[in-house]
Amino acid sequence: MQTNDFKKLAREALADHRKARAYKLRLFLKKKLAVLSSLALLIIMLSAIFAPWVAPYPDQGRGDINLEERLQPFSKKHFLGTDIYGRDLLSRVIFGARVSVFGGFFIVIMAALIGVPLGLWAGYREGVSGAVIMRTVELVLSFPSVLVALGISIVVGAGSMTALIALVIPWWPWYTRVVQGEVLSLKNMLYIEAAQMLGYGHFYILFRHVLPNILAPVIVLMLLDVGPAIISIGVLSALGLGTQPPNADWGLMVWSGAQNLLGEWWIAIVPGFAMFLLVTAFNLFGDALKDILDPN
Amino acid sequence: MHMSHKTHQTPILSVEDLSVSFGGSRGSAKILEGIEFELYPGEVLALVGETGCGKSVTAKSLLDLIPQLSRNRSGRVAFNGRDLLDLSSRELGKVRGHSIAMIFQNPQSSINPVFTLGEQMCRLIRMYLPDEIKTLCKQKMVKEKAATKQIAQEKLAEVGLTETDRLLKSYAHEISGGMAQRYKIALALLSSPEILIADEATSALDVTVQAHILRLLKEMSQKKGTAILFITHDLGIAAQICDRVAVMYSGRIVEIGSTLDIFQKPLHPYTRGLLEAVPKLGRKEPLRFVSGMIPDLANPPDGCRFHPRCDHTRAVCSKQRPIIIEKEDGHFVTCHLYSATLPDE
Amino acid sequence: MSDVLIDLSHIKTYFPQKKTLMGKVSTWVRAVDDVTLKILRGECLGLVGESGCGKSTLGRTILRLAPVLSGTIRFNGVEIQHLDEKAFQPYRPKMQMVFQDPRASLNPKMKVMQILSEALAICAHVEKIQYAQRATELMDMVDLRPEHLFRYPHEFSGGQQQRICIARALATQPEFLVFDEATSALDVSVQAQILNLMADLQKRLNLTFLFISHDLSIMEHICHRVAVMYAGQVMEIQDADALFASPRHPYTKALRDAVPIADPTQTDGMTILEGEVPSLLDPPQGCRFHPRCKHATGRCKQESPKADVIKLGNWVRCHHHLRLWKRGLLSD
Repeated sequence: MQTNDFKKLAREALADHRKARAYKLRLFLKKKLAVLSSLALLIIMLSAIFAPWVAPYPDQGRGDINLEERLQPFSKKHFLGTDIYGRDLLSRVIFGARVSVFGGFFIVIMAALIGVPLGLWAGYREGVSGAVIMRTVELVLSFPSVLVALGISIVVGAGSMTALIALVIPWWPWYTRVVQGEVLSLKNMLYIEAAQMLGYGHFYILFRHVLPNILAPVIVLMLLDVGPAIISIGVLSALGLGTQPPNADWGLMVWSGAQNLLGEWWIAIVPGFAMFLLVTAFNLFGDALKDILDPN
Repeated sequence: MHMSHKTHQTPILSVEDLSVSFGGSRGSAKILEGIEFELYPGEVLALVGETGCGKSVTAKSLLDLIPQLSRNRSGRVAFNGRDLLDLSSRELGKVRGHSIAMIFQNPQSSINPVFTLGEQMCRLIRMYLPDEIKTLCKQKMVKEKAATKQIAQEKLAEVGLTETDRLLKSYAHEISGGMAQRYKIALALLSSPEILIADEATSALDVTVQAHILRLLKEMSQKKGTAILFITHDLGIAAQICDRVAVMYSGRIVEIGSTLDIFQKPLHPYTRGLLEAVPKLGRKEPLRFVSGMIPDLANPPDGCRFHPRCDHTRAVCSKQRPIIIEKEDGHFVTCHLYSATLPDE
Repeated sequence: MSDVLIDLSHIKTYFPQKKTLMGKVSTWVRAVDDVTLKILRGECLGLVGESGCGKSTLGRTILRLAPVLSGTIRFNGVEIQHLDEKAFQPYRPKMQMVFQDPRASLNPKMKVMQILSEALAICAHVEKIQYAQRATELMDMVDLRPEHLFRYPHEFSGGQQQRICIARALATQPEFLVFDEATSALDVSVQAQILNLMADLQKRLNLTFLFISHDLSIMEHICHRVAVMYAGQVMEIQDADALFASPRHPYTKALRDAVPIADPTQTDGMTILEGEVPSLLDPPQGCRFHPRCKHATGRCKQESPKADVIKLGNWVRCHHHLRLWKRGLLSD
């Protein structure tokens, strides 16, 4: 057959597949929650990236004090009010989003990078090495993640980067366990056996046949995991082990604003609500994505 | 239009114009369209067809076992003077398991794994046969529990199970497929149902075990007068134990008649094609089959759903849906070839 | 008839069931328990048996997808069971398998072209630029069209998926193909199509087949010889017509009689075999079939019967087969 005809057929098939994907996208967009959460995420992430330009008072966002306007409620000048140092809360929240969004992604991606390959190995090869991996997973998972991170941060010293790395350590086993389970059930698939029959080795099979078929659930897991990661960062920061003042951090803001809860309640509630919004947005987005990433 | 053939007998179940549709995102699909058949007391009727023809949906729809489709059913299913489609779920619940029992393909997965076989069976015996328990208690001067157990053992022996004492203490995963299916049949027959629906009941069993189960079903039907609706894709089973056969294709019954008529004088082109594709021991010619594929339910062909694959198709076949015609006594076919007046092309 | 392609001698494939704490195996599943048979070049050998008889394991053992405990496998006269991965690789293109569930045999994330290319890649003599050409030829061989190469498996019907699997198996230009219940998951009419395709391919390409199935009725249509397996052993092997017309082993007769015939005028055939299929963990002593055999004697309980040759390539493992056959106890 001519190469041109071949290419033409390939293009036609590609067009059909694109149409199928577009249909899926339309299905996704039909769900109001999916659209809402996607928009919310987009706005928050863009604001975080372009914080210096989006925030009305970027310097205050970074930490500059403005004592004259301290403890002010919602006003035209300061939409979300000011904190005890007079810093514009809106700007603080926007700058705090940087930590939360970046931190959340960092933890989840690093945990996946460590946990997924280990899970692939443990599920596919099993044996002694697999058993060692799974026992380690169970061991680490038996401790509450925040406490582990806490312990590490205390030992190593406080700081935002330290906190993030510390959180990755109790975070990765979850991925190993999920992936291992998926691989165990996938191993029995006949197309794996077919590849073995052709003589392909374990690494090839893992990356060409196993990984692509577990990618979808792993991605959904990651998206739904960003929320808890953000909260954990917040907790650590609130305890003083994460971001150090005067940098903006939602957890830190909630903690320091707690003392004014009865009077100037917005100082703690605003960043708390922001966290709630972001986490919910990720959850809703992940849920909606789960439905369309479903295998055919 | 009724498909009654034995005019001196009244059917125990009469399905009239049963249609079931499924509303999907791409528009509704007619899973079943105009299903009509009758089941007579004590007979074994086979509902045969290939994957996707709707035979299992038909059986389950009779008893409203598919929740997503319960509101999309139309037509009439007359049983003992009542329309099953009209019954409330409570009333239908009384019919299910009691007057109309059903057994499925994987017997072990439909037995509750948490309780022993004995516990489950005795519970049903207490529900359906309280008088028998009482009589036995008085006769043998035993307590209720012992009497129930004895009845259970008798019922298990009736279906050919041995070591009944041990069996009653076993759990679902400890017994084989053949034993499990016999057990399910015993349970189904406890209430002496008038109809037993067997949905691919032997498809998951080995052929030697299947032979046992088929013989058992036939015996039970003859002994107790239970009518059996046997759903299967295996024409061999239909030939061996069934009195009448209904052939289904893409949601419609295309032909129905006595087993001899269907196998020796098949009328519908699909029936003929199906019979030619079945491998038979002792026959060595290459298998012939019907070309093409079963239609997509969401977008079926117009007129007769089989016409794209039919060798005898005419102009009318793609336009008009064929009606049921009684070609000879008790032998019905849904095909334009047999219309009294074939319209000119 | 010296053209033996596959020569199996006393093959045993056991799987560990339980291990003691020290790692020593205490119980084995004896999936294949001493099987000796030859497959001739160009023939289609049927392997029939019920669930748990070891037929699938035997097929996989030949292709080295299951570990051989003892015995020898000769391919074209060369012993292959002990070869390491590297030494065995040149043999892989020569023997391929088509599995039972076509949907599970194809990676849902790969297009047909990629699936075929993966198979073509192990052929040393095929260059990458030839892949497109080869793939198109393969599609044609299985009655599919070139445009199907760019589709995903889920876009096809069961029968078409199985054709893709057959195309993949043919990609490496094998001499030997194992079909493991390849038509069991398909409808009757689709099965007929695939069986016809298989018979056609065998003739055209001069292939050798091992056709594994639990369904006796299809064996006659494409197999030259049929072997009957029970509890890990081959009980009987005969030319296809002979096996069905006059089985020599009581189990074969029971198997044949248990199949429901699609002919309502023949309803008295089904003689029922009592008992259950034995467990491969602890099979019966002596002749495996003796607990369920109507004709079993004391000797059957103690002594495992040896293969008794009826004629070339046809033998049966039963102490009393000659007597039973002469008395007509094995025919209708």
